[in-house]
Amino acid sequence: MPDFGDHVDNTIFSQILEMDESEADRDFSGPLVLNFFDQAIETFQKMEEALAEKDLDTLSGLGHFLKGSSATLGFNKIRDSCQVIQQYGHQLTVDGSTEPDENVCLQKITDALKAVKVDTKELDKAMKKFFEVTE
Amino acid sequence: MATLQRLGSPVNGNGSGAATGDHNTPPTSLPPTPPPTLALAPSSSTDPRSHPPDLALLFDLIPLPQLILSPSCAITRASARFLADWAVTVDQCVGRDLLSFLQAHLQPLGDPTGHIAASIDDAISSRAVRTTKAIYRHTSSWIARIIPVFKEDELLAIVTEWRESPVALADQELFRPGLSNDEAFRILVQAVKDYAIFLLDTNGRIATWNTGAELLKGYKRDEIIGQHFSVFYGKEDLDIGKPGMELEICLREGRVEDEGWRYKKDGTRFWANVIITAVYKDGVHVGFGKVTRDLSERKSAESRLIRAYEESEKLKSDFLANMSHEIRTPMHGILSACSLLIDTPLSERQRDIVNIMEESGQVLFQVINDILDYSKLASGSFSIKSDIVGVSSTVASVVRSVQPTLPPAVHFELFLSPELPKSVQGDPLRYRQILQNIISNAAKFTEKGSIRVRATVQEEDEVSYLILTEVTDTGIGILEHATALLFTPFTQYDITTTKQYKGTGLGLSIARSLAELMEGRIGYRPNPDRHGSIFWFTARFKKIKNLEQIQDWRQRGFNPDGSPLEVPSAGALVRASELAASASTKTLLLVEDNVINQKVMLGLLRSLGFKNTALASNGAEAVNMVCGKPAAYDLVLMDINMPILDGHEAAARIREHGIRVPIVAMTAYALKGDRERCLEHGMDDYIPKPVDKQNLIKTLARWLLETRDYRLPPIDVSADNSVVPASDKVQPNVEVTDKQIGKDGDTPVIR
Repeated sequence: MPDFGDHVDNTIFSQILEMDESEADRDFSGPLVLNFFDQAIETFQKMEEALAEKDLDTLSGLGHFLKGSSATLGFNKIRDSCQVIQQYGHQLTVDGSTEPDENVCLQKITDALKAVKVDTKELDKAMKKFFEVTE
Repeated sequence: MATLQRLGSPVNGNGSGAATGDHNTPPTSLPPTPPPTLALAPSSSTDPRSHPPDLALLFDLIPLPQLILSPSCAITRASARFLADWAVTVDQCVGRDLLSFLQAHLQPLGDPTGHIAASIDDAISSRAVRTTKAIYRHTSSWIARIIPVFKEDELLAIVTEWRESPVALADQELFRPGLSNDEAFRILVQAVKDYAIFLLDTNGRIATWNTGAELLKGYKRDEIIGQHFSVFYGKEDLDIGKPGMELEICLREGRVEDEGWRYKKDGTRFWANVIITAVYKDGVHVGFGKVTRDLSERKSAESRLIRAYEESEKLKSDFLANMSHEIRTPMHGILSACSLLIDTPLSERQRDIVNIMEESGQVLFQVINDILDYSKLASGSFSIKSDIVGVSSTVASVVRSVQPTLPPAVHFELFLSPELPKSVQGDPLRYRQILQNIISNAAKFTEKGSIRVRATVQEEDEVSYLILTEVTDTGIGILEHATALLFTPFTQYDITTTKQYKGTGLGLSIARSLAELMEGRIGYRPNPDRHGSIFWFTARFKKIKNLEQIQDWRQRGFNPDGSPLEVPSAGALVRASELAASASTKTLLLVEDNVINQKVMLGLLRSLGFKNTALASNGAEAVNMVCGKPAAYDLVLMDINMPILDGHEAAARIREHGIRVPIVAMTAYALKGDRERCLEHGMDDYIPKPVDKQNLIKTLARWLLETRDYRLPPIDVSADNSVVPASDKVQPNVEVTDKQIGKDGDTPVIR
């Protein structure tokens, strides 16, 4: 198992890798991860649009959506940022208490979106290396 | 013998040989008769006009020192030249035995008579001319030609002709027969073909060259004399200045020996053994002597040997690895099947039999593990892993596991020093293995009293701890004569015949090897307080550098106490295979909105054998599909948070239609209340997301294999149309499947 640091939960990700035909032929995990990053980029775009329109509800939904897939693959850092977006989209803090100030929520979401984009880019690079994909 | 006389008269023209005569005989014209003792061959003069001179006269006048000997080696005649050169008179030699004459007149150095006599004998027996070795007289050396004179078979005389050669002053000291010392050594060195022996001057330039050097290194003498000896060295050696270093060491120590690659004239290399000796003359350093041997053959034999050895080692460890797998797999199978059988309804007799099977199986498994471990340790292919070890927790865990086997009159005492580090780096499995071995031994051999397990820090340095673990029991102890063999493999100490110690006798030996691999030691001493034993061992563990390493262990599949995180128990293995067997006949419905998650779940299900899985992307679609084909699906896997219609709602709607298909919720919710909510909405079970494979297997097996099919008519026909289905209502899995910390705490299935 390669070391992705705290980007990836190895136990979960290795379960995904186990479904590959072989280590040489990563026909399952390879396209899947590729798909995920496509999905992520698409979601980030939608989030930017929703952020511009200050649409917290949509933001929450988008956050939840990407949280699901990132969690499934064990991409914990991305998952955690999405959790922030999901919560603050519902005007809740990460531990469930209410956050009445919309602006605070939007700011938190903005920060989280920024962070998750950086994390995603980093992980994408590492994954491409792992799958030996040439850009 | 008459003495020779000079005859003034001219030679008789008759052609006869030289006449002899004495004073008293008047000159006659009698043809001269040769004296009876002189048998000369007829004159070899080819000149018919020459008058053969008087033989005696001739002999006398020959300008060679000559002696004529009788067949018995007595001197019968001496030439004038001989008498003159040797400064002897006729009386002194004629009539005397040659050898005694020589002895008297030679420098008393060595005994020449031996070889002269040998030469004479040789000449006589071979009827040929022989030359003697030199004998020394004053400042000269003389050699003699031995000429035997035969007439048919009779030896008539021996003529000896002597030749002188001046001896060089320098050799005067070496008046020994044969070669001089220098010459002898020179020939020796030159002739040797197997060793390159040559001299270097004080600067390392080649001064001499022998045949061996020429053969070995390829250079001819004139090509190499004057060159520096570093010309034989390779680039690496030249880079580090090896030749110079060697001369330096040689001067310091007197000699230097080296083995290494040397290069021939044609560029090929050979493995050489080289000895260089510093040469001194009169205390002054004049050069170096070098002897080089070609060891290429030996070296290649060495590397062939090493390769063969490595190959056989590889074969051995491959064999071990394969055997290990081949043996353990069916063992697992047997044990799994056994434990399953025990769970089924059995008659008492059957149960007894199965218990025996299981116990024997366990012992056999232990024996196999011991043997495989031992082989691995013995072949040196055992490696200690580096993981996180929780010393205290491991000790406690082992004690707990041995507790059930204790006789009722024995209790455990556990002393864990407060200084013990919480977590350290080491091999948790192997640490546990040693503990298990020693503690279970103590349990086996203690009838009453206590077993005290104590763990302390014996040593600590900057990077590691040396942990001492002692197990003191009040058991039967060990007889003195048996203590020496305790840790030796294949020896078991069994004090009574009634106590059957099951095992290979390898346990302690393995424990010792493991302890040593962990840079520790193991030992025994008798319990001083009471009858019993103290087994102790030490092991070195590295200190943990940072927290990240602790988090790592979660991903490695083992708890710090050495027990595995996920126990694919015997049951699980069988479940998985049964599930796979029936999976091809089952149709599942997966309800999941995120494409990524869909793919993962489908992949997971496929790997379990489910080839026909339908897909719905949201709750509404799911309801339509299920209600549209009420009996189509064997099980529904339902995600909770979905757009349009979420999982709860979908499940409720399906139930409203009276469809009892098992619905398993996939939920990311961690809060207790959320799980219960699933059940309220009509779900039958839930598994947390991200979905864990083992968990999925367990859940699917429960609902697909262990539950009566919902499509079958109800068994208990009761009057009231209770909504409660005849299918067993199974209690869902309540455990916290934080899959990392595996406590396989199954709640029993209610039937």
